[in-house]
Amino acid sequence: MANAFVAAFEILSFGAIIVLIVLGLGIIASMMGIFNFAQGEFVLLGAYITYLAYAKGLPIWTGMVAAPFVVGALGFMLEALIIRRFYAAPIVAMLGTYALGLIIRESVRGLIGGFYLTVPEPIGGSIDIGAMHISAWRFTIIVITALVMVCCYLLLSRTNFGLRMRATLENPSLARASGISTPLMYGATFAFGSALAGLAGALIVPVFSLYADLGLRFLIQGFVAVMVGGVGSFIGPVAGAGVIGTLSAALPWVMAPVVADVLVFVLAIVFIKFRPQGLIAGKGV
Amino acid sequence: MPKSMGAVKQVIPANTGGEADVAMAEHGSAKQAAPGRKVLPIVEGVVLVAALVAPLLLQDYLTVFATRVIILALFALSFDLVWGYAGIMSFGQALFFGSAGYGVALLARDLDITNIFLVLPAGTLIGLTFALLLGGFLLLGRHPSSVIFVSLGTLTGSYAADRLARGWYYLGGQNGIPSISSMTLGTYEFSEGPPFYYLVLGILIVVYLLCRFLVRSQFGLALAGLRENEQRIAFFGYKAQHLKAIIFAIGGAVAGLAGSLYAFHEGFVWPNMVGVVVSTQVVLYVLFGGSGTLIGAVIGAVIVEGVSFWLSDNYREVWPIILGVLLLLVILFRPLGLISFVLGERERVGSFGGKSRATGKEKRNAAP
Repeated sequence: MANAFVAAFEILSFGAIIVLIVLGLGIIASMMGIFNFAQGEFVLLGAYITYLAYAKGLPIWTGMVAAPFVVGALGFMLEALIIRRFYAAPIVAMLGTYALGLIIRESVRGLIGGFYLTVPEPIGGSIDIGAMHISAWRFTIIVITALVMVCCYLLLSRTNFGLRMRATLENPSLARASGISTPLMYGATFAFGSALAGLAGALIVPVFSLYADLGLRFLIQGFVAVMVGGVGSFIGPVAGAGVIGTLSAALPWVMAPVVADVLVFVLAIVFIKFRPQGLIAGKGV
Repeated sequence: MPKSMGAVKQVIPANTGGEADVAMAEHGSAKQAAPGRKVLPIVEGVVLVAALVAPLLLQDYLTVFATRVIILALFALSFDLVWGYAGIMSFGQALFFGSAGYGVALLARDLDITNIFLVLPAGTLIGLTFALLLGGFLLLGRHPSSVIFVSLGTLTGSYAADRLARGWYYLGGQNGIPSISSMTLGTYEFSEGPPFYYLVLGILIVVYLLCRFLVRSQFGLALAGLRENEQRIAFFGYKAQHLKAIIFAIGGAVAGLAGSLYAFHEGFVWPNMVGVVVSTQVVLYVLFGGSGTLIGAVIGAVIVEGVSFWLSDNYREVWPIILGVLLLLVILFRPLGLISFVLGERERVGSFGGKSRATGKEKRNAAP
């Protein structure tokens, strides 16, 4: 019983991490039609900023708070300078963002060297429930993920800003005719997506430690999750991330980890092949 | 796909519009004198001569390096066929490259087969088989697959293979398979050095000529149509998906050949060889050199590898960043790669089929 509970917690917390990472990726992919290869590096940057704050002797949470804003600002800048040119061409966008990611990743590698740097958990220790111990920080991640998810949903579905965003992405010319500044909305969407990646990086760095290929590890999982969930809506990629995250965390408990690792991808690709619209089809929130 | 090519085209006139127009005007007015003005054969000739004399001028260790570059150029050719000519974004080309490498490494290790006439066809066959399987699955089917799905599918395939190779003890896990014995021809052993170099160069030339014939044939014309406007080609009655699967399989076979050569040349294989790193590497070569021209892929491989070899001594840390910046600049401002500095759009697209070639020959024969 206790074991099952710990396993369930592990699975849930890994699922939450994947959801957190996929949120930004999914928003950019769904709303803008761009598969952002630099997303993993935005995650890495978020992690790096948190590490910097820690290394400078500041409290870790200052880094965690700063990370989404800094990465979001960077995303806004990159969108205005570079990403904007790619909208009509999804493949060129992939290559362009890949190049961006390469630049960011190698810059960070140059800064930190080939090391694995650890950042302590801001909320250490464990939560004890009877005889079971679960990591307090992982629990916090689950809570924050749930909060962020709800906030994103509310932002997109309930606020004026979300309405403008969806209008821009669904029909740009009509949105422009209605007086919405579409370039600004694209910039804001991309910045929002990158900010979420920065937040994800900041939150997961105590769990995975900081190394240059941190983002790469999640990128492909994230893409697969977005495709499985369905491009075009907010909830689709989140659902896909839940499925992929849960599967990748749960399968190693019942079979050899190597097989499980590969099996998740194979299953996902087969699923997308036969259901290209994903788990949840349709546009909107 | 049509969307993306549309955008590429929009970008071209902005940058090279002047040149292209001039070139076309010249071409139009001086149609008869055109054969002498072709740039592509000159570029190919220069590269060929440079490749032939390179071992005579280079020191031994540089010849070994040059051999590796030639093998990677062969690999780049395979990606160029798939992306530059058919418009299939294969982010997992290393899957075929690496699995062939692993295949021949296992042949050499477990069955002691190193005969060149056995291992190279075996490697090619492995690449072909894997490409047929993956390409058949991704490309064929009742619904045409989206270009995003194909690119992410190949990427995922390559990543999954990497993970599998890392975790599978039989394949050597993280360390791969070290110290593969040399490739043999009878009793002769191909070890690193000029003979291996010329062997690889010979193979590259043969494959290059075959590819050249392929992309200039009627099949190549259909492929070019596919790249430019898939829907229209489908309306003409071509089975677009079948064409794609065929070229994908051919690309896989060439990648397999390159992979088996690479395995024997380096003497070991390791998980990165099937993984995302090598997959994206080959994309870099082709984008730099110029996709849609075979020689562009070769030049791209030579330039990227050459510069990184040259810089990595002194600027090991900075080089990947420079590479990223250069790549971004090429994508933004030179979507057709470095070759587009010397090669006009018209010549890049070229002419197709036996008929135009025959008339070309007649003209040339008639001229003197």
